[in-house]
Amino acid sequence: MGWLVGVDVGGTFTDFFACRPEDGATRIFKRPSTPHNPGEAIVRGLQEMAASLDVDPARIDRLCHGTTVATNALIQRRGGTVALVTTEGFRDLLEIGRQTRPHMYSLQLDHPAPLVPRRRRFEIRERMGPAGEVLTEPDEDGLTAVAEAVAASGAQSCAVCCLFSFVDPAHERRIADALKRRLPDLPLSLSSSVRPEFREYERFSTTVLNACLQPVIADYLAYLETETAALAPDAAIRIYQSSGGLMSVGTARTYPIRTALSGPAAGAVGAVHTARGAERPNVITLDMGGTSADVALIRGYDAGIGLDREVAGYPVRQPMVDIHTVGAGGGSIAWFERDGLLKVGPRSAGAEPGPACYGRGGTEPTVTDANLALGRLSPAGLAGGDLALDEGAARRAIEPAAQRLGFSVEKTAQGILGIVVANMVRAVRTISVERGLDPRDYALMPFGGAGPLHAVEVARVLGIREIVVPGAPGILCAQGLIVSDLKEEFVRSGRFALTAEGLLQIAGLLDGLEADARAWFDAEGVAPEDRGLTLSFDARYVGQNFELPVSFAGGSHGVLALPAGPDEIADVFHAEHERHYGFHSAGEPIEIVNIRIAATGRMAAVAAPVSGRNAVRAAEPAGHRPVWFDGDAAVETPVYWRESLAAGMAFAGPAVVEQLDSTTVVFPGDRAAVDEAGNLVIAVGQSETAAPGAAP
Amino acid sequence: MTVPAAPLDPVTLEIMANGLRSIADETFAALMKSAYSTNIKERRDHSTAIMDPAGRLIVQADASLPIHLASMGGLMESLLARFGGELRDGDLFVANDPHVAGGTHLPDINMAMPVFFEGELVAFMCNIAHHADVGGAVPGSMAGGLTEIYQEGLRIPVVRLFREGVLQQDLLDLILLNVRVPAERRGDYFAQIASCRLGRSRLTEILDQYGIAAVRDGFGQIVTRTAARMRAAIAGLPDGVYRFEDAMDDDGMGATDIAIRLTITVDGGDIHFDFSGSAKQVTGNINVTRNATQASVCYALKALLDPDAPNNQGVLDLPRLTVEKGSLLDAAFPAPVAARANTCQRIIDVILGALAPARPEAAVGAANGANTTAVFSGNDPRTGEDYVYLETLGGGFGGRAAKDGKDGVQVHITNTSNLPVEAIEMEYPLRVLSYGLVANSGGPGRQRGGMGLERVVTPVGHACTFNGAGERFARQPWGVFGGGAGATGAFRHIAADGVTARLPNKPIGVTIAPQEAVIVRTPGAGGYGAPAERTAEALEDDRTSGKFDETWLAEHYPQAIETGGED
Repeated sequence: MGWLVGVDVGGTFTDFFACRPEDGATRIFKRPSTPHNPGEAIVRGLQEMAASLDVDPARIDRLCHGTTVATNALIQRRGGTVALVTTEGFRDLLEIGRQTRPHMYSLQLDHPAPLVPRRRRFEIRERMGPAGEVLTEPDEDGLTAVAEAVAASGAQSCAVCCLFSFVDPAHERRIADALKRRLPDLPLSLSSSVRPEFREYERFSTTVLNACLQPVIADYLAYLETETAALAPDAAIRIYQSSGGLMSVGTARTYPIRTALSGPAAGAVGAVHTARGAERPNVITLDMGGTSADVALIRGYDAGIGLDREVAGYPVRQPMVDIHTVGAGGGSIAWFERDGLLKVGPRSAGAEPGPACYGRGGTEPTVTDANLALGRLSPAGLAGGDLALDEGAARRAIEPAAQRLGFSVEKTAQGILGIVVANMVRAVRTISVERGLDPRDYALMPFGGAGPLHAVEVARVLGIREIVVPGAPGILCAQGLIVSDLKEEFVRSGRFALTAEGLLQIAGLLDGLEADARAWFDAEGVAPEDRGLTLSFDARYVGQNFELPVSFAGGSHGVLALPAGPDEIADVFHAEHERHYGFHSAGEPIEIVNIRIAATGRMAAVAAPVSGRNAVRAAEPAGHRPVWFDGDAAVETPVYWRESLAAGMAFAGPAVVEQLDSTTVVFPGDRAAVDEAGNLVIAVGQSETAAPGAAP
Repeated sequence: MTVPAAPLDPVTLEIMANGLRSIADETFAALMKSAYSTNIKERRDHSTAIMDPAGRLIVQADASLPIHLASMGGLMESLLARFGGELRDGDLFVANDPHVAGGTHLPDINMAMPVFFEGELVAFMCNIAHHADVGGAVPGSMAGGLTEIYQEGLRIPVVRLFREGVLQQDLLDLILLNVRVPAERRGDYFAQIASCRLGRSRLTEILDQYGIAAVRDGFGQIVTRTAARMRAAIAGLPDGVYRFEDAMDDDGMGATDIAIRLTITVDGGDIHFDFSGSAKQVTGNINVTRNATQASVCYALKALLDPDAPNNQGVLDLPRLTVEKGSLLDAAFPAPVAARANTCQRIIDVILGALAPARPEAAVGAANGANTTAVFSGNDPRTGEDYVYLETLGGGFGGRAAKDGKDGVQVHITNTSNLPVEAIEMEYPLRVLSYGLVANSGGPGRQRGGMGLERVVTPVGHACTFNGAGERFARQPWGVFGGGAGATGAFRHIAADGVTARLPNKPIGVTIAPQEAVIVRTPGAGGYGAPAERTAEALEDDRTSGKFDETWLAEHYPQAIETGGED
């Protein structure tokens, strides 16, 4: 077997992680992104890796790709021109949305205008009722007229969104047929295919975003396929989806919306893989990059799935790894609020001009400048990096704030970091406390370029006692790509009582869902022993307007593990309700509104990555430098090269650990050790000023 | 970092304030998660806060509703007056009455728990939650047609629900006997209690970390810094006297054109709101207590001057308020007040109208000015069970200096979401025939006003009952700086033969037979700037979007006549 390569395209860097399962060889590589055509960085990177790292493109078996092309197209409003066909009487639904404002007190902020302006939203006389009963059949004249209208609108793609199409897609399909007859090449997105679930606004919005992305992603994938076919003819291309799994290029072309938010999802999957290696089933991840920090909660090696998110201000309902983002990154700028308090972020210096210490014209103080001024980052920049950091520029940027505060530059820098830590702590509290979970029961796993710099301080405030720093924290997203499985989800929506009769109805639908899953396994060439199916229901008490997922995993060889009966489902539901909301109502009737089958096609197992290469026998610092921690003076601190740390080595803080893609700061009183899988595990000491943990 | 002695520096203060905000947000989430009432779980009609021993608001949860801003202060005032000298660790107080306990309407249950540290009173953890029912004449405790607060539900003065950690069971029994579905309401009470306790333990951690002196200093600085920030914003307004007036359509009980008159005096950093001359309180339930008026004033000031300013006493104390007791805006016992939100919306319109000349770049035309409420109820023929479907609909938002008013949106004091059409039809024996924007409803202007909403609903297989509450159904939402008025809203009945007839603005108990339907149409909003200044491009969009028709455009925009016809 040859190489498996994961490529994560970010705004600034394109990261590569390659591994060869047969001998466990791994390579990591980073190169600047090419925003004008993100595919270019991939092709060049593959060529560069062939030259410098001996990864022969002809020997690449699989290329797993996480892309921000869709997300960026939405943020920059560069999607295609879309038309919408919808039920008569409801063309404004997309514009009204949920009739809310994004900010309680602002008179000026609105949700963004709909992606399809009213003049390209066309109504057709048709209607179904909630049981799928046909109230009005679409007629041929109507179908012809609407196809003509779409043709005349100049649309590059078309969304078809009818009420109750999740119960029966017949009307949407008839409209699609009429459109295909008139416009055979027009990409179509049917709400009954993109997201067949009830609640029309979220379904329509997701479908319209999908249609908007179809033309963009088609061009991009065509480029990628053509270029890699020449370079790496044996590489099967897989595209990463936000749910934390891979999909084929064909699926990505049909459902490009599934790639939105796939970047952070890859990090969470990489974190799950690392957590397994470290044997820590419960982990809070902290992925801190240049502009923001993503936090996610992993329970029992499982990164939870959420369904509702916003992308570029629009609601998207898709299975997505449950991640909370906060505007706290290395580039976050420190500034004074009108009331004189010091704030950090969410505004960021970004990649251009970047922090002041990059010497590219930035003058405002950032988190990276503060880390440099305190000696936590090396003036030489990242280990092995080309970018030296200008400490003088960092200090000059911090100076005005220091004067205003009457502080030294170092104390000001400590303050900036204290505030950015407080912001991240709040984000962690949001994902844990609001789900009824106590962060002290978790280990903290920092990654991204800046996560390990701040992990100890975040852990202290939260009362977390242990930190697991992955072997290659800056490349964890790319690594997550190649340890992911193929994933697909099949769903039916309706209202089913949780009774013996209701389950009979569900059983009928399950046959259809299983057949769909089988067809997908066959089409993707998944071997029987690699076929996994998980059944889950979105359930609620009758009368509630929100659902909780109830899952039954454990099926193998493509066979579902079915619950024994209504009582088993009810028991799991009550328990979930208790955990989320602090109570359950044992006697209340329960109903099921969505039936889901998650299908996974297991990909080849991957060896544990990058540990202990070039290791020496004892942890020997490569040098020393003065570093400011939380005291009033710098401490002469040993600096270790991560590559020189082998499994079993241990050392006490203070220490700084540098590596190609990240820097880890270990505080005085902490202990660090390298585990068998190459993770740096830090036992957090108790500082006098650290807050004790949260009470339950 | 080491903790310096008071006074705190701006860095330590920011980190402490971040921790306090976190407490408010966590207690907010905890309350939402464990409550039973849909109002709390789905519509987030609740708030949490930390108050100081003097009853000053220190931190309010981010997601808290504007109308709750002043209510907690009202509760604290009554609490301190009655129990100030005898507070004990483990006490917990509850109240809801608008006339004697600082509430704004009865379904909002207020709670306060004193927090002691090293034997000293340091703070109160407070919350407010809108319960689905608080007793009274009609399920839901929000109905119109009532004339006294007694009919609206159980009145609770400030009482001690826990005495030094011990639940006063007899008191809780008394409360629960007077509300519908007591088992669920008990859950709501305990959700609020648990939220207070969580806040107390989290605040104790912060006290452990910083000590009492530093936390007290932090409380003080949070308030004074916000006050200074708001005062600076007010000082940016031109000194002078600003006047405006508008009126409520009606109270549903015979009174019409109920005036709200306002004179604002800005003098340096001071601002005085004088509502003298406003109408006397009315028979119907649109009356407002003083602290709801104060909350409306603070909402409008923040929205106009500094939307990101933190919510604390520094905002609340800033405007000086003159409101006559016994008037619509400071109603005296026994006035009913359930529908006070409609009046709060109008107070805000009046303030924004008055201050428009002082802050033209932030000003807006009058919004739909309502909390248009539609309630369908009946017996579901499919199940034989009774149902009640209640919804509040948005409408137009006023035109703004740089952009048109938003179409079809909740405004100002309310921001609750709609119920999906598919959810309505799956849940209730009702069919939504259409749901869209109302053509020609946005007031003309350089930036036009937002459009109203229209929803047409018909019962399926049975006759249902319709109740509603509309405002700006008679008086149009006005424009500013030459902008024109938006359209009014209306309730209409469609008979089986298709003939439509206007319903009252606050209809009570209208029977809708199968084959008949109700049209709920909400108001649009006023425009900003002279219509003659509207750009050709914007007019073209008005036309091609179909939001306005040719005739209407020609009538309201002189330039539309020349540019029209090219279509």
